[in-house]
Amino acid sequence: MDTIVALATPEGRSAIAVIRLSGRDSLEIVSKLLIDENFSPKPRYASLRKIYDPETRELIDEAVVTYFKAPFSFTGEDIVEISCHGSPIVVRQILDACLKLEARMASPGEFSLRALMNGKMNLSQVEAIRDLIEAQTLAAAKQSLRQMQGELSSLLQPLKEGLLEVIVILESALEFVEDDLPEYQMDEIKTKLYEIVKQIERMSSTFKAGRLLREGLKIALVGRPNVGKSSLFNALVGYERAIVTEIAGTTRDSLHESFSINGIPIRLSDTAGLRKTDDIVESIGVQRTRKVIADADLVIFVVDCSQDLTKEDYEILSEIEDMQHLIAINKVDIKQVELVEKFNGKNVVEVSAKTAQGVDDLRRAIIKPFLSRNSAAEEKGFLVTDARHADLLIRAKKEIEKSLELLDQKASEEIVLTGLHNAMRFLGEITGETTTEDILNRIFSTFCIGK
Amino acid sequence: MFDEVFDVVVIGAGHAGCEAASACARMGVETALITINLDLIGQMSCNPAIGGIAKGHLVREIDALGGIMGRVIDRTGIQFRLLNRSRGPAVRSPRAQADRSLYRMEMRRMLEATPNLHLRQGTVVDLIVKNDRVLGVELQDTRRIGAKAVIVATGTFLNGTIHTGQKTFSAGRAGEPASLELAESLKRLGFPVGRLKTGTPPRLDGRTIDWDAFEPQPADENPVAFSFSTEKIEQPQITCYIGYTSERLHQKIRDNLHLSPLYSGRIKGIGPRYCPSIEDKVVKFADKNRHQLFLEPEGHNTNEVYLNGFSTSLPAELQQELVRMIPGLEEVKIIRPGYAIEYDFVDPRQIKPTMETIKVKGLFFAGQINGTTGYEEAACQGLIAGINAALQVKGRPAFQLRRDEAYIGVLIDDLIRNGVDEPYRIFTSRAEARLLLRHDNADRRLMPKGYELGLIGDLDWEKFNRRRDLIMKLHRVLENTRFKRSSVEYASLSQLLGCDLGDSISLAQLSQRQGVSSELIHRLLPESIKSETSLKELESALADILYKGYIENQKIAYERIHHHDNMKIPEGFDFRKIAGLSREMVERLERVRPQTFGQLRRISGLTPAAVSTVLVYLMANKSDRCVT
Ligand SMILES: Nc1nc2c(ncn2[C@@H]2O[C@H](COP(=O)(O)OP(=O)(O)OP(=O)(O)O)[C@@H](O)[C@H]2O)c(=O)[nH]1
Ligand SMILES: [Mg+2]
Repeated sequence: MDTIVALATPEGRSAIAVIRLSGRDSLEIVSKLLIDENFSPKPRYASLRKIYDPETRELIDEAVVTYFKAPFSFTGEDIVEISCHGSPIVVRQILDACLKLEARMASPGEFSLRALMNGKMNLSQVEAIRDLIEAQTLAAAKQSLRQMQGELSSLLQPLKEGLLEVIVILESALEFVEDDLPEYQMDEIKTKLYEIVKQIERMSSTFKAGRLLREGLKIALVGRPNVGKSSLFNALVGYERAIVTEIAGTTRDSLHESFSINGIPIRLSDTAGLRKTDDIVESIGVQRTRKVIADADLVIFVVDCSQDLTKEDYEILSEIEDMQHLIAINKVDIKQVELVEKFNGKNVVEVSAKTAQGVDDLRRAIIKPFLSRNSAAEEKGFLVTDARHADLLIRAKKEIEKSLELLDQKASEEIVLTGLHNAMRFLGEITGETTTEDILNRIFSTFCIGK
Repeated sequence: MFDEVFDVVVIGAGHAGCEAASACARMGVETALITINLDLIGQMSCNPAIGGIAKGHLVREIDALGGIMGRVIDRTGIQFRLLNRSRGPAVRSPRAQADRSLYRMEMRRMLEATPNLHLRQGTVVDLIVKNDRVLGVELQDTRRIGAKAVIVATGTFLNGTIHTGQKTFSAGRAGEPASLELAESLKRLGFPVGRLKTGTPPRLDGRTIDWDAFEPQPADENPVAFSFSTEKIEQPQITCYIGYTSERLHQKIRDNLHLSPLYSGRIKGIGPRYCPSIEDKVVKFADKNRHQLFLEPEGHNTNEVYLNGFSTSLPAELQQELVRMIPGLEEVKIIRPGYAIEYDFVDPRQIKPTMETIKVKGLFFAGQINGTTGYEEAACQGLIAGINAALQVKGRPAFQLRRDEAYIGVLIDDLIRNGVDEPYRIFTSRAEARLLLRHDNADRRLMPKGYELGLIGDLDWEKFNRRRDLIMKLHRVLENTRFKRSSVEYASLSQLLGCDLGDSISLAQLSQRQGVSSELIHRLLPESIKSETSLKELESALADILYKGYIENQKIAYERIHHHDNMKIPEGFDFRKIAGLSREMVERLERVRPQTFGQLRRISGLTPAAVSTVLVYLMANKSDRCVT
């Protein structure tokens, strides 16, 4: 059985999140996350380990790793559990890394299913699993998600059609050598496949955005004291939630508020202005700000254009530069300095928290990366929200890419077709299956075959 | 009570019946083969050819299991060709045209030389069944023959009706009576019967053909045999010819469609799409301005020529007129007109993987009666039915093949699982494990099973073991023979392929490169093994290496999805009692009423969560049974 992975604790923010892998490659995958080839933990003993992104070799988190050796585990297979920090970002990064290492996102109830298959469960326990799946079903049945699934299927349909067309051409060439079928054009087939790959890529790239959509986009307002963060916070949230004064250092603790822009849920945080300070309370606030920044999906760096940028501004900028960020140039109503150019005009919005000028622009800028351009998926504002679907899309894409490679190597059709059939199966898991009969039907209606 | 008693009675001496009877008898049980006309044993009622893509695979599998079709065609084939030669070994497949009458005679000779096998001429009119157990058969001449098992292999004879133009008459094949009473007998036993259709083209007088107007299609220079036991094809090989229809001819057909029983609504049975009549081709593919035809001489000692691709049920006079519109056939004379035939088949969901009917113990169905078309499809069912009838008589456990073991397994599984709504033909794309089910490894896949059954002779078994050992040895040699950069071979290879080959390259790696032929690999083999290795064995070993990675990959993807497909859903299963399912899901399930998990999984609109929920429930119930 292949190796499956999923978050074992409820989604969303929590102190600790548990990511569970089950299957014969669990240990190998985790050893790659630890960048430790000799990783051979004692079963059932927890150890504190550093988790890395195996590609970039960047540290993701420090986590407790526990190994349960087959058959003495919940599923009866090798299991590794990673208890990491509860930040959805950390969870996301670890899950992504596992998927890249050929683990597969578990289907609902799949861990229990494996447990059942391996005789690890008795009947009285089955009732409990069913409840568990029911809960997941209910969550998945949420109106919005259902709509999206339907939408996903209808968006995938043309791709499946395209793939089927190629399969039909190649299968016919193999199967009906004695019929005088038109010779197929290799270039056309490749073009078709490349187009499909591109489409799948676009869809799966919305996956990240999709998860943000479900969990809420976390945005932090940061900047020096007194640049107008709290004022902007209130302007975006829509009411006087934060205290605003002309005293620098008004905000001492982080403040959070949820609202939405164009239906995209947002969790906005106001923070204490960043500066060196001797005030104990303020310095704790600054520490908290740093944490909020680390956890954010998007940082809005607020500067004040009634004066020039200060050394502190540049320091903050260097801190957030590598993150997804926007620069809000506040107080344009009393603008003294032209700051737009100083940021090369990139990711910059001029606003006034006071007059509300530019606040809508800021809203648009916030959701822009999550909205669509070009692709069919994006035009409809479509987002892949289900991690399992995204996983299947990526697998399908990989299979087609393999087939394309084989076409380049002039491999025989039956080999090229294995990848295409696999891809079809993966897409079929999202939209419902295409059977051999479908393929044959298509062949006979496309070509005049038979003696 | 009975005039004669045997262990097994086989009804019908077509391709299914012959295999069935031969297997039974050779497995040591007394077997009677009853047929309407003993002179037409092994008759090829349609085109005189065996094999082709996927069908050729079937014949190799039949041979590997110890069947006879491969041997007979090898001795009587007059044009052998290996199809898909330019493609990968998994989809290459042998095809041969037979001398129709030689094939018949050779089949009869082989059956007559088989101990325990008794030929009987007669028409079976009734099956004798008591308490859901078959006891024997009754003949038209009132003879009663007792048997512990009966195999029905009646082809198109069950209630057969021939159509040409507006004329309709009862027949099992042109010039032979249909089996009407037997069809009634099956209906009385409660088997669900449907109607299918097939057709044949006219046969031409070869002396009236302008052969120069056609494009010759020669036989292979080195014919590839069907049987693993065949050393050499002895029959002189002939050439076939390719020609085309014309737009003028198409128009004439369109003008006369009302005369075709297919289009006048007279024929109700469904015909095979991959073997369409010329009427169908012209109507359904109207934009095609010509259709390919094959002129296939029917044998060494006859002028009869089979006009392959021109199957028709138009009136005979019109057929004559039509064929003369084919360039090169302006003067042609038809010897036998083409016709369409409708016949009864029994829903194959009524049979087990052993070919035994679920309803009646000891009663087996094989061949066209199960809704298939093709000699090879029929023969393999006959073989499996014969084997299982013999095993049952001997009280031994049943024999069946899985989908990933043989095309035969695919075919039978498709039939009994999905039923048919048109005549069923095998295709390579029906096999998930296509890369594994090659014609060249059919012996390695199946011969040990055939040997175990007692259907493989000692000589063939020894030969097989030598071949298998050699191939295993070749695997090792191919992996271990490496050419270093410093070697003489390396330089010339690298020059030949026009690229660098790394520090060293093994023969196995080399064989996977574009432009490297098996002949080249053969030349590079170490002397110690070269002399005992023929190209055949080498190519089989190379094919194993070629597909290894893909097979693994395919298996993983397939298993993931099809893992639980065979799990049965109990009849009358109440989906409402599964707690986690929404009303909508339950409704969808109740509309389709799937019988297996595989069917359930394909229901559209069922969410993955719902699918898993049902699966967990089914598994729980299953383990319940295991526990108690
Ligand atoms: N003219 C003008 N004044 C503004 C604007 N935004 C904020 N201010 C003023 O700037 C001062 C500081 O505003 P705050 O929102 O408290 O600033 P802050 O960045 O939250 O400050 P700290 O919490 O101390 O870090 C207040 O007097 C606001 O009225 C603006 O767009 N235009
Ligand atoms: Mg503030």
